[in-house]
Amino acid sequence: MSSIGLMVSFGILASMPIRAQEQSSPEPPPAEQVAFFEQSVRPLLVQHCFDCHGGGEKIRGGLDLTTRAGALKGGDFGPAIDEEIPELSLLLEAVSYEGLVEMPPSGKLDPGAIEVLTRWVEMGAPYVGETGEMPGPGGEAEGEGPRITEADRQHWAFRPVERPTVPEVGDPGWVLDPIDAFILDRLVDAGLRPAPEASRATLIRRLSYDLTGLPPTPEEVDAFLADESPDAYEALVDRLLDSPHYGERWGRHWLDLVRFAETNSFERDRDKPSAWRYRDYVIESFNEDKPYDQFVREQLAGDELDEPTAESIIATGFYRLGAWDDEPTDPLQARFDELDDIVSTTSQAFLGLTINCARCHDHKIDPIPQRDYYRFLAFVSNLEPYSYESDHILTEIATDEERAEHDRAVADRERREREIGGVLAPIEAKLLESVPEPRRSRLRSGTFEERRHVLDGIADRELSAGELAEYRSLVGRWRAIPPVPPPPTALSAREPGPEAPQSYVQIRGSAHARGEPVEPGFPEVLGAADPPLPGPSAGASTSGRRRVLADWIASPENPLTARVMVNRVWHYHFGRGLVRTPSDFGVQGAEPTHPELLDWLASEFVADGWRLKPLHRRIVMSRAYRMSSKGDPEALALDPQNDLFWRFDLRRLSAEEIRDSMLAVTGALNPEMGGPGFYSKIPAAYLAGQSRPGDGWGDSSAEERARRSVYIHVKRSLVTPILSSFDAADTDFPCPVRFATTQPTQALSTLNGEFLNEQASDLADRVRRESGESTGSRVRRALRLVTQRTPTDGEVGRGVAFVERVAAEDGAGPDRAFELFCLMALNLNEFFYVD
Amino acid sequence: MNGDSRPRGSFCGRTRREFVWQTGLGFTSLGLVDLLSRDGFFSKRAGADGGAPAGYVNPMAPRPPHFEPKAKAVIFLFMYGGPSHVDTFDYKPELFKHDGRTIAVKTKGRGGTKNEGRIVGPKWDFRRHGQSGQWVSDLFPNLATCVDDIAFIKSMTADSPLHGSAMLQMNSGKILSGSPCLGSWVTYGLGSENEDLPGFVVSLDPVGGPISGAKNWSSGYMPSTYQGTILRSQGEPIIDLSRPEGVSDATQRRLIDTLNAYNADHLAARADQSDLAARISSFELAYKMQMAAPEATDVDSEPEETKRLYGLDDPRTDNFGRRCLLARRLVERGVRFVQIYAGGAHNDDNWDAHTDIEANHNFHCGRTDRPIAGLLKDLKRKGLLDETLVVWGGEFGRQPTAEYEKGTGRDHNAYGFTMWMAGGGVKGGTSVGETDELGSAAVSDRFHVKHLHATILNQLGLDPEHLTFFYGGLDQKLVGVEGAEPIRQII
Repeated sequence: MSSIGLMVSFGILASMPIRAQEQSSPEPPPAEQVAFFEQSVRPLLVQHCFDCHGGGEKIRGGLDLTTRAGALKGGDFGPAIDEEIPELSLLLEAVSYEGLVEMPPSGKLDPGAIEVLTRWVEMGAPYVGETGEMPGPGGEAEGEGPRITEADRQHWAFRPVERPTVPEVGDPGWVLDPIDAFILDRLVDAGLRPAPEASRATLIRRLSYDLTGLPPTPEEVDAFLADESPDAYEALVDRLLDSPHYGERWGRHWLDLVRFAETNSFERDRDKPSAWRYRDYVIESFNEDKPYDQFVREQLAGDELDEPTAESIIATGFYRLGAWDDEPTDPLQARFDELDDIVSTTSQAFLGLTINCARCHDHKIDPIPQRDYYRFLAFVSNLEPYSYESDHILTEIATDEERAEHDRAVADRERREREIGGVLAPIEAKLLESVPEPRRSRLRSGTFEERRHVLDGIADRELSAGELAEYRSLVGRWRAIPPVPPPPTALSAREPGPEAPQSYVQIRGSAHARGEPVEPGFPEVLGAADPPLPGPSAGASTSGRRRVLADWIASPENPLTARVMVNRVWHYHFGRGLVRTPSDFGVQGAEPTHPELLDWLASEFVADGWRLKPLHRRIVMSRAYRMSSKGDPEALALDPQNDLFWRFDLRRLSAEEIRDSMLAVTGALNPEMGGPGFYSKIPAAYLAGQSRPGDGWGDSSAEERARRSVYIHVKRSLVTPILSSFDAADTDFPCPVRFATTQPTQALSTLNGEFLNEQASDLADRVRRESGESTGSRVRRALRLVTQRTPTDGEVGRGVAFVERVAAEDGAGPDRAFELFCLMALNLNEFFYVD
Repeated sequence: MNGDSRPRGSFCGRTRREFVWQTGLGFTSLGLVDLLSRDGFFSKRAGADGGAPAGYVNPMAPRPPHFEPKAKAVIFLFMYGGPSHVDTFDYKPELFKHDGRTIAVKTKGRGGTKNEGRIVGPKWDFRRHGQSGQWVSDLFPNLATCVDDIAFIKSMTADSPLHGSAMLQMNSGKILSGSPCLGSWVTYGLGSENEDLPGFVVSLDPVGGPISGAKNWSSGYMPSTYQGTILRSQGEPIIDLSRPEGVSDATQRRLIDTLNAYNADHLAARADQSDLAARISSFELAYKMQMAAPEATDVDSEPEETKRLYGLDDPRTDNFGRRCLLARRLVERGVRFVQIYAGGAHNDDNWDAHTDIEANHNFHCGRTDRPIAGLLKDLKRKGLLDETLVVWGGEFGRQPTAEYEKGTGRDHNAYGFTMWMAGGGVKGGTSVGETDELGSAAVSDRFHVKHLHATILNQLGLDPEHLTFFYGGLDQKLVGVEGAEPIRQII
């Protein structure tokens, strides 16, 4: 398509409706033109165009062809008719199927019809009997984009965070942390009473799962129940926050938001090299309580920081986690799909904004014009596209010592090769004499292995017995030199140089339809001034633009960043956020149930140096967190959804918690942290769904397979069944809120599936080892391990009766009967849900 | 951007409250949430807000369509790899004439974009069949007897001529990975009539799955409730359906009863927690599924005559015939969406005839012709065809020209290809759309994959423009933000 049709100047666009107005009213067209229009043109428009461009609601692409003015004004791609150079009219280009737009889409018109339309356009597109409404006089003002109003800026989430005062409450004794004052204040207003504190056994289980994703051991429960010191709870909180399992649990939350996966999806679904380093980076960042603003900067611009480190380079793996089609049908569009994935993930995860909705047109709900999308995209548009080329996506991260060690090893290897080569050379020279040119020369300058490929075959013939023995011995020695492993690399952001490409608005989101040029900038409604961009500095390897973006996001003045993060933290603690749409703080998102509390927490968070552990500590130490989950008829009637937090919400364990808890109670859990992921055992029946069963899935040892779920290799097209069945995060899109579905196929897998039956057998083995011979003591111990509380005699009796009947009446024998009891125990609701 | 153009607190008829239900409550009571997401429901039921949380609703419970449906169920016969339209249903006399001649024609496939190629004439004759006189090649002698029940769409187009993205598009509407599949949308919209069986079932070719595997029946950003369940034609029909070795029915019943007793104690102190009750019910449903699924999949119990109709008496057609017969048994029992793959794995294990169209299509048509004809005839005589929409096709078609210098192999073609539908309110004996005289591209009444999807939804009583799922700030639709009309000419 000619660039004239697409490089729409917005200045012209804006003025077009006015011109159209001027020209649409004057004298009617001559009679022969009227007749031509009525007899030849209108029937074509009615039959082929008006279904989509027929005015009213039917104006696809913004184009209304029911009036001349509408045709002149045009749609998203610009005027349909060019009055000055009619033959370049977009309408003619579209009907002749010569450009980006092919109209009508159901098939090209016959040549006669195209001829009619061409004549019509060339005679100035005379129109009579207009049926649609005239476009208003310049009302669209498309050149400026939508106006951002003061009301837009006043949306609660776009206003600056202001630290509210903590409310005074009538019952200060209930307040353990200012959080409680905010909660109680609203409850009292609504005439609700907060639920009493949960039992200590409930609290240790709630805390353990919440902070580490694992159940407490019976011994830990005993110790906590026996600890009568006033700071027993606090000590427990501190112990759990210090546990390395904390990072595994909370790091996984973050991985949900950045749609972490270690393969590319699509036909080949190949591995992303060393993606696991990013996962470990996240877990370690949580464990060391890295300030959140630093965490943001490292992921977005770790390579552009003043002093990049291996860690900050690994953090930029953030940009490489998305799905990637290695054979896109439209490479240019695919490039912008990749950037769209990055813009969506970045804006949703860090800012709670669905900027992605403005890719094709202005955001339908939020005050985000399309320009804002492309201005945001311009911050990241200099990234190298994802590629199999390692220098596009990998960066060496060796420390100085590692680098020196590597260089030493390479030098050492080369020295040994030279030594052997020196002795080998005369023998090779002799062998090469029998190789004809040009092959001889090629081999001479070729690699060691290339020469072996040819020379090994003729050595027998050409060499004496002594020479042959020496030849073989030398080759053997050469091959015995250990290879030097490459220095460590990280999946990371890379840019080709400091000069970023010019960004443009893309009309209707098409990479082939350039609109106005744009410069990097922040969403207008947030009111931040356009950032000064670093000038191209000699020798810089990147544009420095991502650093500008990161600094703005990680700034205390940004109204969204701290609010969004504290809300996420609250969401994971309480099962729902103060804002129930954690990745959408826009106008269509939920409003905060406790806006003052949200702002107060955000202010405290920033004041505490963006550290998460003090925030967790504050939340879990609060009275609000310690409430019982028990229902109360009155409160249920007044506030059935617990909007006001009159109780703690019961929740089902997440997919990872379910799997990890099973391993924990059977005693098999392997606490080893970090490193490349392991391959869980996936039944052949699932592998059969692959086009090459087992492709891209390896074997791991039994010990490896007993590691926590966060370390399972994340392959997009092959998710471990027990995880996918219990609503693990989708791997292709950011997941701000996990589903918690209940369905019969889950029950099939927990009754009949291989994993559960293995766990049941392991649990039975453990209990047999740890408790007495009697069925009663075994049942008691199994229930204790699974529920982390002392079972009642009635519960034990019921279990014993089950074991005895299955053993005797069903003929299963006592051991198998006890295994089935363990299977039953691992299916208890009490095991799957946390109060 | 003012208040008039951008309604606050309401999006496409959805209230904020409703939206919060979907995204903020983590789908705890999925069935309820699901109901709430239906247009207009919330306004009618706003008063119900004050009550206690509702009881368990099976997420697959049947739900009313948007309007009176023509079809209750879909059987999608997926010819993975891309069958050649010009060798099967799209008769192009010019191809016979120009066999072997190199001519100018624009193609785009695995081998890239080309502007000329050597014509490969079809190796099979075409004849008119039935009262409607529709063209079918000798590759499908049995299916040819059913053309009066079939509506051909001979002007299909897709966005990608490459398997990875094209498979995703045919199944999920998008060439990018991560969106829910057609079967997910259908069960999300309608649930399933038989809660003892999965609502969205996928049957794979024994040679292997399609490329991208489970992505082809994934529920994407929707809950896993709506992902396809693999149903196997041999052995255990559903994964994890069979009791563990050595566990009798009586023992399992005892186990579930004991579990129920413990769970009832646990529930007693938490009576208002509907999730707990839901999980208790799910064990009963699973138990029933263990009874229902083996019965439903017991193809061998069918009369000999029926088995013959599907080609179970011939080793060549036995496997596909068995799976077609299974599909009939499933829709008969209320399963909503059945997808059967003909072909799997790579290269000539499916319809991907790059080197030898003759060998490849003789093989794949040979193993599917009788079973498909058998399925249509059997559905018809049982009165099921009216309410069952059968869809046939692959992710794209094939080029009129040869891919390589020698041989008859054809590369992929997304510019034009044929699919067909039968039953479920589709006009039999019709054909819509045309490709050019070589079959290289659709030229008249062109349709896109989204129109095919819109047609399927429409026949099921679902409005493709209003079947939406809120995700990522958008009301997502199977047919895309712009929407798509059903193919009116065939319904």
